[in-house]
Amino acid sequence: MKALLFSESGDLASQLLTLLRDKFEINAYILSKDDISEYGASNVFQIETSFPYADNLSSFISEEFKKWNYHVILMVSSPLTRDIAGMLSEILKTEAITEIMKLETGENNKFYTERFFFGGKTIIREESDARIFTFLAGLTDPQKVNTKSNVQKIRIDLKSRVSLVNEIEKPKSSVNLEKADIIVSAGRGIGKKEGLSVIQQLADVLHGEVGGSRPVCLDYHWLSEERQVGLSGKRVKPKIYIAAGISGQVQHIAGMRGSKTVIAINKDKNAPIFNECDYGIVGDLYVVIPKLIEKLKK
Amino acid sequence: MYNIIVLFKQILDIDQMKIDEKTGEPVTKNLPYKIEDLSKNAIEEAVRVKEKYGGKVIAITFGGDQATMSMKEALAMGADEGIILKGYRENNPTLTAEVLATKIKTLQYDIIIMGNQSADSYTGLLPGKLSSKLNLPLLGNAIKLEMEGRKARVTRSGEQRDYVIESDLPAIISVEQEINEPRLPPLVQIMMAGKKPMKVEEIKVNVETYKKVIWNRAPKSDRKRVVFEDIDKGVEEISKVIRSEVK
Repeated sequence: MKALLFSESGDLASQLLTLLRDKFEINAYILSKDDISEYGASNVFQIETSFPYADNLSSFISEEFKKWNYHVILMVSSPLTRDIAGMLSEILKTEAITEIMKLETGENNKFYTERFFFGGKTIIREESDARIFTFLAGLTDPQKVNTKSNVQKIRIDLKSRVSLVNEIEKPKSSVNLEKADIIVSAGRGIGKKEGLSVIQQLADVLHGEVGGSRPVCLDYHWLSEERQVGLSGKRVKPKIYIAAGISGQVQHIAGMRGSKTVIAINKDKNAPIFNECDYGIVGDLYVVIPKLIEKLKK
Repeated sequence: MYNIIVLFKQILDIDQMKIDEKTGEPVTKNLPYKIEDLSKNAIEEAVRVKEKYGGKVIAITFGGDQATMSMKEALAMGADEGIILKGYRENNPTLTAEVLATKIKTLQYDIIIMGNQSADSYTGLLPGKLSSKLNLPLLGNAIKLEMEGRKARVTRSGEQRDYVIESDLPAIISVEQEINEPRLPPLVQIMMAGKKPMKVEEIKVNVETYKKVIWNRAPKSDRKRVVFEDIDKGVEEISKVIRSEVK
């Protein structure tokens, strides 16, 4: 089955190629100059364009889809590809299933997909005749193959109805939570921004990273957005995940479900996080964490 | 002066949702509905545009009879008129887009504001679908919105940088949570909002899609759930676990 893979970055494209190259014959279209020639794509097309946006990319992808008789379109989920998936599903009059973590092919051109539902509380398995799929990032680590792809540059000059006025550089990302082995995350239960210092101390002792729940990152801005663990933030899979003062809202759980060992510290005995942890301590994190640090330092 | 349409979704209150321990399926019976989180940001932004530049806000939801309370809340937040479209079927963005587009085509508007994803299904397809169906530019994932004459300008958050983008009107704007802090109208105001015009309509559309739910259930958690109420004992055991893992 021929598949068109579209991705904004080489890293995301190589993840998706690793995951799907045994199922499909894939041509990868990427919006970057990254070298992804060793991940099993038949052809790699590096797209050059003045302003890549959802509408002009959708027109381009739909033209390629029709011209080369691709069977499916595969993308890694992002704000851009989400918009593209919506547009493409209308242009090509086909269903799109987004943010999936599993794709199986069935008989008669049917596909089976699995994705989070109800904000991460459940997983939904659906049968559909969809042809457009977006996948969660980080489902697999890229692995090379022995063959090499054909690499070509293509220039597209399709007009967008949206124009770029300005780009604002963000401070360079200081953290890559997705790749961290140990994460200590702070929740609303820390009570105040200063409480982060105790979280940081524990992370330092363990040579880990500091993460946070949605309220801590997005509502109170005590931590930067890039440290938000959750369905709408980073999906992490460390060896050890310590949730301190985090109640365990579903959307947070969905973001840390891939963790090997989960440790919860919370004052509230009934906090849902205790149903989703391997080890838990019921107690004030300001009492528990210093004791834990002391023990670990020994 | 802008004619603003705001689209909002009503969802089950997921935080109150329980899981049936035998089947792993969500218990949806008797669960209250609420306005979806990002939809609240959309309503707030629509009302702010009106307050700043003047105009009128029409709130539209594709729901059912039970959407009346949510619509009153949207009106209490500052929307001027409400339209409830009946016939919602579970998570079918293609149907939702068709119904909304059919209604929107009969209205006069400059901007359409909506959330970029919904907190229950997270499909995020609707902004793109409406953009194609209505043939309108999409200013997606806005963390800031400014109006300037017949143009809308949006700041869109990216991984390494933010982008300031603009388009002519009419346009669709999808918003992220960061864009604002939705106001909380007092209950009295929600009751009073019943006096604002609110219509319930049914729109017949024909949409053929094939998508069938095989199952929908909570992932099995095989966590050990060893919880200590004795802090010292817990610290003792957990530090051992951490040590064996970190080495």
